[in-house]
Amino acid sequence: MKILETHNLTKHFDGVYAVNGLDIAFEQGAITGIIGPNGSGKSTLTNLLTGIFGFNHGTVMVEGVTLKKISAYKLPAFGITRTFQEVRLFEQMTILDNILVTLTSRHVFSSLFETHSKLHLKQAQEILEKIGLWEKKNQLAHNLSYGQRKLLEIGRVLAMDAKIILLDEPFAGLFAEMIKVIVKIIEELKQQGKTLVLIEHNMELIRELCDYLYVMDEGKLLAEGKPAGVLSEKKVVEAYLGE
Amino acid sequence: MPAYLIHLAILFSIYAILALSLNLIFGYTGLMSLAHAAFFGIGAYTVAILTTRYNFNFLSATLAGIIAAIILAALIGFVLSKFKGDYYTLGSLGFNFIIFATMLNLQNLTNGPLGIPGIPRPNFFGLDSSIDFNFLLLSTCCLLLVYLICRFIVNSSFGRALKAIREDEQALEIFGYNVRNFKFLVFVISAGLAAIAGSLFACFITYIDPTTFGSNESVFLWSIIILGGLANLRGSLLGALFLILLPEALRFVGFPENVAAQMRQLVYGLLLVILMMYRPQGLMGEYKL
Amino acid sequence: MTIVPQLIVNSLFAGSVYALMAMSFTLIFGATKFFNFVHGSFTVIGGYAVFYLVERLAWPIYIAIILSIIVAGGVGFILDKTVNLPLRKKKSTNTVKLVASLGLFIVIQAFVAILFTSQFQTLSNTIEQKIYQIGSAVFTQTQAVMFVSAIVVFFGIMLLLKFTLFGKAVNALSDDEEVAKIVGINTDKIISYVFFIGAAISGWVGILVAYDTGIEPTMGLGALLKGIIAAVVGGMGSVPGAFLGAFLLGFAENFGIWKINGEWKDAIAFGLLIIFLLFRPQGIIKK
Repeated sequence: MKILETHNLTKHFDGVYAVNGLDIAFEQGAITGIIGPNGSGKSTLTNLLTGIFGFNHGTVMVEGVTLKKISAYKLPAFGITRTFQEVRLFEQMTILDNILVTLTSRHVFSSLFETHSKLHLKQAQEILEKIGLWEKKNQLAHNLSYGQRKLLEIGRVLAMDAKIILLDEPFAGLFAEMIKVIVKIIEELKQQGKTLVLIEHNMELIRELCDYLYVMDEGKLLAEGKPAGVLSEKKVVEAYLGE
Repeated sequence: MPAYLIHLAILFSIYAILALSLNLIFGYTGLMSLAHAAFFGIGAYTVAILTTRYNFNFLSATLAGIIAAIILAALIGFVLSKFKGDYYTLGSLGFNFIIFATMLNLQNLTNGPLGIPGIPRPNFFGLDSSIDFNFLLLSTCCLLLVYLICRFIVNSSFGRALKAIREDEQALEIFGYNVRNFKFLVFVISAGLAAIAGSLFACFITYIDPTTFGSNESVFLWSIIILGGLANLRGSLLGALFLILLPEALRFVGFPENVAAQMRQLVYGLLLVILMMYRPQGLMGEYKL
Repeated sequence: MTIVPQLIVNSLFAGSVYALMAMSFTLIFGATKFFNFVHGSFTVIGGYAVFYLVERLAWPIYIAIILSIIVAGGVGFILDKTVNLPLRKKKSTNTVKLVASLGLFIVIQAFVAILFTSQFQTLSNTIEQKIYQIGSAVFTQTQAVMFVSAIVVFFGIMLLLKFTLFGKAVNALSDDEEVAKIVGINTDKIISYVFFIGAAISGWVGILVAYDTGIEPTMGLGALLKGIIAAVVGGMGSVPGAFLGAFLLGFAENFGIWKINGEWKDAIAFGLLIIFLLFRPQGIIKK
């Protein structure tokens, strides 16, 4: 079942089409990769799907519900969450707070008179222990190493417990050990039945993890299919080398 | 306790309330508003008008002042929320200016530049606060109340959300927060608290005029919370203590009168520049600008 | 209807003052990219400098004016080197620079009040203040000078930006500071010269206001805010936009108070600002 789809999705900036009439679908419970040269529209697509930008044309369908626009703060209601390519943490807050904020009440009045603090703390501890950051829980986010920052972003994804997870270059710039940790987490998420969308440049990992692959170029779909097949297609190779 | 020190202690408590309430929106939520003096003034003028002309008592006049500030904050906060970054500050400065102009020009209501004299000292719990020491008890209780309210807000999940808004409000939205509502509520609460300070100020000095509530005052409040340390409640107390006491202390060092009169401006103006250049996190430094 | 020519004349003179403030503010903003509130201080410095030289030292007027403009520009130059430059080197955020500029504004205001008291002062009319008349509209010589200087400064800046090497460097710097540095432009030096020019123009406004109405230490803020409003309305960073926005503001204010009480002039100005920030934040001329 296609849990997330776009129909004729279009977004332009001052006349430049970042995403152009895109029809793309994501199978429930699968890990779908999106690759493409820089400027192909991958990040714009992610931003469109998560309410950072509004669409100029087209619709997005989530679990059968058609949407003409997406408000960022409604994402959890649709079961969607994401990470950012440029790692957007709450820099001058502690690691613990960075996780807690994803667990506590979203409503203005019930967050003021929060009654589940102990529970949230316990949940935060579980997640931070899983990613190995519990000891550092009172450190400020902007004092972490790059790898730890990427890990914390994944931690927030775990805390959100969403159905659909969009990961924007989660492995960029990481050492092998850290990559293994995150790969393991991703595989666990898949086992739990989550749907994952993986934007990456690392072809090995794409081959290893993805059930299905889309290639984007200039805002449109260039190719799609099983990773092994797609990655050997002539036009895909050309699109990457030709840029 | 010598009368002069009591006087300073009362001023300290008033400005501490202003600093705490401003820190809620500036230090914790990242809303850099120069409109805070306006809400201070609305509280003061409401109480002044209601007690001198309509015989309201202190408590009901103060409540009215809080409500007036909250209503105006709702309108102003709503418009301001459409502006980003430095334009937010500019817009807030504009609103402070508009309210200041209103105080100056609606002469039938506010007596314009002549101000409103003869504001009565309140009677509460049988204590006559025309005795300064009794007034100090009142203002200290108010400060305590405001401090506890701010501490409650700041330590709650709501408070944590405020900090996240300051850091990256768009990222916070992704996690399901309707950021607009949070900013709105904290702005309105902050204005209501500032109105309490306004009420105390009006009743203490027993005379108010528009010049106290101009943009210079807003900048002075900024310097208090920046000196004390943004997003730190005890820092706000420290900053207020410092910036109320230091200019007074310097007056006695032996400067000529014309210098002493400008002492407060010199001190906080210089402090702002020096802090920005050498220690943007202020004294209790939890958050750096 | 005979009031209309006078309203037009008033609008033009208000617009001239705002244009001078707005153009200088936007010029500096283009180069430094933050709201520099100390810009209002140069108005105060210019006004008080000419007051001191003419009233207290009895210098000849035209020399006093020229020196005052240079003093205002000089203070701007020095402030950039001592405060803004270190902040730029530290890669401070725009917020930090804005706060520092507020502090400087307050300090300068306090200094002026210490040296000259807070009282409103006027300059004795040692320049023959001729009064001119066009139709039913009346205006003073100072106001005529305001208008002419606004036009001269506008063309002066535009020519400077378009045809001189310095101007091209300023444009490059305003477009992209990093790239400008890479191609070898000494951006810090250019910025301090831009500061000198902008502060000098702001000082000139202070001199005009001194001869038009008078001076007091708090005079900087009002002129600055109107200038900022005009610059935002016209499009931040665009000098023609600032020029246009200023006259738009002047007309909006003066025709706006035709039917309502004149004391609401400032409210009209800020109302215009809020409307533009809400509906067209990039201003009239997008840069």
